[in-house]
Amino acid sequence: MNKSKVAIVSSRKALTSESGPDPQVVLRLVRRGLELLAGGAKAEEYLLSIIPPSHTVGLKINTIGRRALSTLPETAVAIGLWLGKTLGQEGQVIIWDRTNEELKDTGYKQSTSPEALRIFGTDSRGAGYQTEPVIHRNIGSLFSRIQAEMVNSSISLAILKDHGLAGVTAGMKNYFGAIHNPNKYHDTHCDPYVAELFECQQIRNKHRLTVIDALKVQYHRGPSYHPQWAEKSQKFIISPDPVAADVVGWKLIEELRARKGLPSLKEEGREPTYLFTAERLGLGQAKLENIEVLEEEV
Amino acid sequence: MSGEINRRKFLKCSLLGSSLFLTGKSQGHSVPLFSASPLSKSSEISRVEARYYEKLPDREIKCHLCPRLCQLGDKERGFCGVRENQDGRYYTLVYGKVASLNVDPMEKKPFFHFLPGSQAFSLATAGCNLSCRFCQNWEISQMRPEQVRNINLPPDAVVTSAENQGCPVIAYTYSEPVIFYEFMYDTSLQARRKGLKNVVVSAGYITPQPLADLLKVVDAIKIDLKAFNQDFYHQYVRGELQPVLDTIKQIASSPVWLEIVYLVIPTLNDNPDEIRKMCQWLKTEIGPDYPLHFSRFHPMYLIKNLPPTPVSTLERLRQIALEEGLHYVYLGNVPGHPGESTYCPNCGKLIVERYGYTINKNEISKGKCRFCGQKIPGVWS
Repeated sequence: MNKSKVAIVSSRKALTSESGPDPQVVLRLVRRGLELLAGGAKAEEYLLSIIPPSHTVGLKINTIGRRALSTLPETAVAIGLWLGKTLGQEGQVIIWDRTNEELKDTGYKQSTSPEALRIFGTDSRGAGYQTEPVIHRNIGSLFSRIQAEMVNSSISLAILKDHGLAGVTAGMKNYFGAIHNPNKYHDTHCDPYVAELFECQQIRNKHRLTVIDALKVQYHRGPSYHPQWAEKSQKFIISPDPVAADVVGWKLIEELRARKGLPSLKEEGREPTYLFTAERLGLGQAKLENIEVLEEEV
Repeated sequence: MSGEINRRKFLKCSLLGSSLFLTGKSQGHSVPLFSASPLSKSSEISRVEARYYEKLPDREIKCHLCPRLCQLGDKERGFCGVRENQDGRYYTLVYGKVASLNVDPMEKKPFFHFLPGSQAFSLATAGCNLSCRFCQNWEISQMRPEQVRNINLPPDAVVTSAENQGCPVIAYTYSEPVIFYEFMYDTSLQARRKGLKNVVVSAGYITPQPLADLLKVVDAIKIDLKAFNQDFYHQYVRGELQPVLDTIKQIASSPVWLEIVYLVIPTLNDNPDEIRKMCQWLKTEIGPDYPLHFSRFHPMYLIKNLPPTPVSTLERLRQIALEEGLHYVYLGNVPGHPGESTYCPNCGKLIVERYGYTINKNEISKGKCRFCGQKIPGVWS
């Protein structure tokens, strides 16, 4: 069996101030991560091998933590502009999340011009939610029209956080922001909901890449921001395998917790079991022995 | 260099010192609307501190309003989707934010033994603390407040509007009133002062203390008992049966009038043996006099693969309930069926003849059967 590849790229220069990451360093890291996954090819070649150049690509970010703990514009815009350039046009890329208010509070400027990098929330005029619920296993939800109708390919550009209910929130759970009722899916440690939501065709058929922003990791008491339990890890975790990427993120959180003398998530009874469910559903690899980690400091 | 970012381009796409591009403004509407176009602005969401919650360390809270007991970090919302932890304080986002507003006959709720023929000023907000796959009002109950159109109608405006409409009753209904508890409670209090009555249409998923407080300010509660089966509650409702049974007993032990509705879904909760056990439980725990309505299911929301309930099934279940000694057993959503009407448990005569939501004949006088004098429980005037 082929192992799933996950790249971990880091730089001590990525996040040097509280104001936000350096976009140039961010882009260098992400491109290097893609090169590691490509096994020597250029990042642009790798990208075009997983995303057809004609596609409109959604960059699903996570802005619930606002400026303190979100996918910041310094990161998403840097990646989005490069992505657009690689595909052909900036307008082929949509950076998006649930609401314009969250985007604004995180520092994004809304943009809907088809000529430029587009940035807007599901609550924008012309977007919204679909009117018929998608029914799949335990899921019954309205999808954001951005995810369901406006994009052909999707990248989960997520934040890595400890999560009091789910255990870990990263690339897969980021798609909770693509539906109207995520509040209904937080019991039983979000299991099987995270996996079953990802399995919906609106996500599974479009997801191409997970990019986990682990520049600053909330390793305890998340998903809310608590600076005393947030660590500048200066990393990105990148993989086309959504499960493997999240498992590697989970491992990073466990390492940080162990280093700080905190019990493991298993000891706290909140392992992210949805990742094992995801593996059972054939969405990716959840066992570390089936994951090849390619790590590099840039 | 292919990866170089133009600083001007970057700044163009980040806000940092720039102005907000606002979404469209929602207009006031008196009917529930769901639209994929711009929804409510956050300024149209309330921020009134919730009741029945506990502050925990590290800005966490624990909600004690319903049996879920949601424990939430900062910026997180409860299962209901309408209560949010903001920096360690818990807020209701739907206080006075009405998503559905109608004047309905009492029979539509249904209440058959409570002021028959009167009009109820009926309202709801977005949200619900359950997630029924067969929800008949999912377009508001399964939404967050910012995903529906809301009108601002604080308690005093609700009471004044009800008076202006000539409604003697305010009904908290459609979605799940438990999740807009603070709004319902305060409105009920004001309504009482003006001589109006308050009725609640609920699934009964509430903890004992808030229910005890609510029972002091409302006059009738209709409970949707979804099944008499924990597995059904787990699989199709995402809740627990026992708290609902506890609620039914608590209401029945109070002066507040109680009616129970059971939506019969073919193959899922129509097992005759189970219905018989439920009827036995009701008779033993609360007595035979509270009305039980078997209501007809229509395919909706996430259950569209089942047919409407056959009328013969409803008739069979009604017969079981009567056999078990319940006195007032009705059929709902079957206009014109004899099971819509009330029969005196003593003399057997037809005493309230209904057709749909209309009352054709009422032979109850001063709470008694006009033919034999049997007391008919309920609130009749």
